Amino acid sequence: MSTLTINAIRKSYGAVETLKGIDIALESGEFLVLLGASGCGKSTLLNIIAGLAEPTSGDIRIGERSIVGVHPKDRDIAMVFQSYALYPNLTVHRNIGFGLEMRKVDKAERDRAVHETAKLLQIENLLDRKPGQLSGGQRQRVAIGRALVRNPKIFLFDEPLSNLDAKLRMEMRTELKRLHQMTRTTVVYVTHDQIEAMTLATRIAVMRNGRIEQLDTPEKIYNRPATLYVATFVGAPPMNLLAATAGEGGLQIDGSDIVVSVPGLESAAPGRRLVLGIRPEAIGKADGVLSLSARCEVAELTGPELVVTAMVGNQRIVAALPASTKLQAGDAIVLSADPAAFHVFDAQTEQRLN
Amino acid sequence: MSGTWMTTRAWLLMLPLLIIMLAVIGWPMIDTVRLSFTDAKLVGAAGNFVGFDNYLKMLGSSNFQRALWATTWFAVVSVTAEMVIGVLAALLLNQQFYGRTVLRALLILPWALPTVVNATLWRLIYNPEYGALNAVLTQIGLLDSYRSWLGEPGTAMTALIIADCWKNFPLVALITLAALQAVPRDITSASLVDGAGSFARFRFVILPYLAGPLMVALVLRTIEAFKVFDIIWVMTRGGPANSTRTLSILVYQEAFSFQRAGSGASLALVVTLIVTVLAIGYGMLVRRAAGSAA
Ligand SMILES: Nc1ncnc2c1ncn2[C@@H]1O[C@H](COP(=O)(O)OP(=O)(O)OP(=O)(O)O)[C@@H](O)[C@H]1O
Ligand SMILES: [Mg+2]
Repeated sequence: MSTLTINAIRKSYGAVETLKGIDIALESGEFLVLLGASGCGKSTLLNIIAGLAEPTSGDIRIGERSIVGVHPKDRDIAMVFQSYALYPNLTVHRNIGFGLEMRKVDKAERDRAVHETAKLLQIENLLDRKPGQLSGGQRQRVAIGRALVRNPKIFLFDEPLSNLDAKLRMEMRTELKRLHQMTRTTVVYVTHDQIEAMTLATRIAVMRNGRIEQLDTPEKIYNRPATLYVATFVGAPPMNLLAATAGEGGLQIDGSDIVVSVPGLESAAPGRRLVLGIRPEAIGKADGVLSLSARCEVAELTGPELVVTAMVGNQRIVAALPASTKLQAGDAIVLSADPAAFHVFDAQTEQRLN
Repeated sequence: MSGTWMTTRAWLLMLPLLIIMLAVIGWPMIDTVRLSFTDAKLVGAAGNFVGFDNYLKMLGSSNFQRALWATTWFAVVSVTAEMVIGVLAALLLNQQFYGRTVLRALLILPWALPTVVNATLWRLIYNPEYGALNAVLTQIGLLDSYRSWLGEPGTAMTALIIADCWKNFPLVALITLAALQAVPRDITSASLVDGAGSFARFRFVILPYLAGPLMVALVLRTIEAFKVFDIIWVMTRGGPANSTRTLSILVYQEAFSFQRAGSGASLALVVTLIVTVLAIGYGMLVRRAAGSAA
């Protein structure tokens, strides 16, 4: 039995359909990340799960029970907001305990739970302060504490880290991962940060225009993206996309005489327009199966690697090479890649072919 | 540029305004102070210096004490009612419902009416012979015979307070409505998820955002209510049996009806003093409220 079942959820605002049929089944203890560009409907979906918005059609179940139309407080969920949404006039202690207080949990029990949660999040020394006297990271912890203390079936997070600076964001990311491994609760987490998605999720749902493009494990999303959109959304620097055509001996890269045979693509009708995707980090220097002669245009040292932009035929390609590589603009190089790491998409339908 | 030059220039630029203000406010004020120590009549001789006589007589008079009581009663009851009704109206108008925009626009009407028009309107409603209030109350069986609401000492003040509330609650409602827009959506959402009922949500989540603006409304309304003149003058002229004679009405009667400029001036100064003390006290409260809301 799934903990959370989302069934054919649709949501319209007036004539605009924001969610166009969402299906998700979540097992207990899963960490689902909703990943997608701004405006694709992530928050809308999360608010529908929370009960802060009602779906136009479709069903949501927590366990066996349908929760459509059920008041947010009776759904056994807790939510962490992007803005933290702490009550500014209440102390940290009361902020965390507010949900229990409203549920008439007696004071001694409440205090115990608040202290336990505060200890877990290392904010015991902040309990008497007001939110205005806290730093961004501390507020974030309080917001998480407020959700944690209630011990709900499902946690909902709406971009909880996006207001933090880069360093703090990484720390909190690790912290969240640690918390999840410890508590093993079910989480639905919204973000548009692909690193967050890759590191935290047990499964990722990549959303686009109110639909789920792919719902899979981070490894699958990265290694076998189902559509061109998913392929370009995940990975930095983004995947190289080369225009190509299906031919007799395999796939021919447009604007060059390079022909590659890609496993699983034998059935593609000759002449079919294709897109060949190669991740920058899957490209090496002259030790793979396929060799591409290229001319280096720009070489940027990022620290751990050298990001090289080069021309293959008349198409641009980006490769992430070891930092020790000696290269300058204008140099001729031979790049290599393994066809096993190739991603081939239909140029028309944008669906994966291999 | 040096600091002193900046300061000098600021003063120079303000000078014309200061001169005008001194001329139209300062001078009459000083003259009033002078008058209050004389037995001058409204017309005729300049009057003789009588020291604190005017003040002592006035403070000891039952007229003054009754007027002070009437003013306080009027201010406390009407302002309290306006605050409560105003906030409730704003909470209602903040809900999503059909026709909300129209109602919000209508809300401002009573407040936009000139006080004289409002007062005349209510006089018609309270009219002992053909007033709407009498008609409604007898028709629904609450009243046997028509009454003179403004003509009986027992009801005149209440009738006035109702008229004043009707005119002024929209101001409180509008201020509250504006403040409600500033309550972050996420915070109300969070309180929903936390399971706060409507009362707890108002008390712990929404009220803190209203405290500052409401304090300002309270100050404005209390000071205005303490100075109340026009609505009473039009509706009852301080009657019947002086039951609605507030301090401002008393000042007017003393100075203009009885033509005692000297004691009228001393009374006016006492009223000014009371209002100033109120304003300063409230100013401190507002600053505290603003500080704790941040
Ligand atoms: N209350 C509303 N009324 C009308 N349209 C809305 C409403 N809420 C959201 N929308 C629309 O629905 C779409 C999806 O919004 P949503 O907030 O779910 O996006 P999102 O994926 O969370 O984006 P972001 O990453 O920017 O937060 C947007 O086009 C938005 O304009
Ligand atoms: Mg969002």
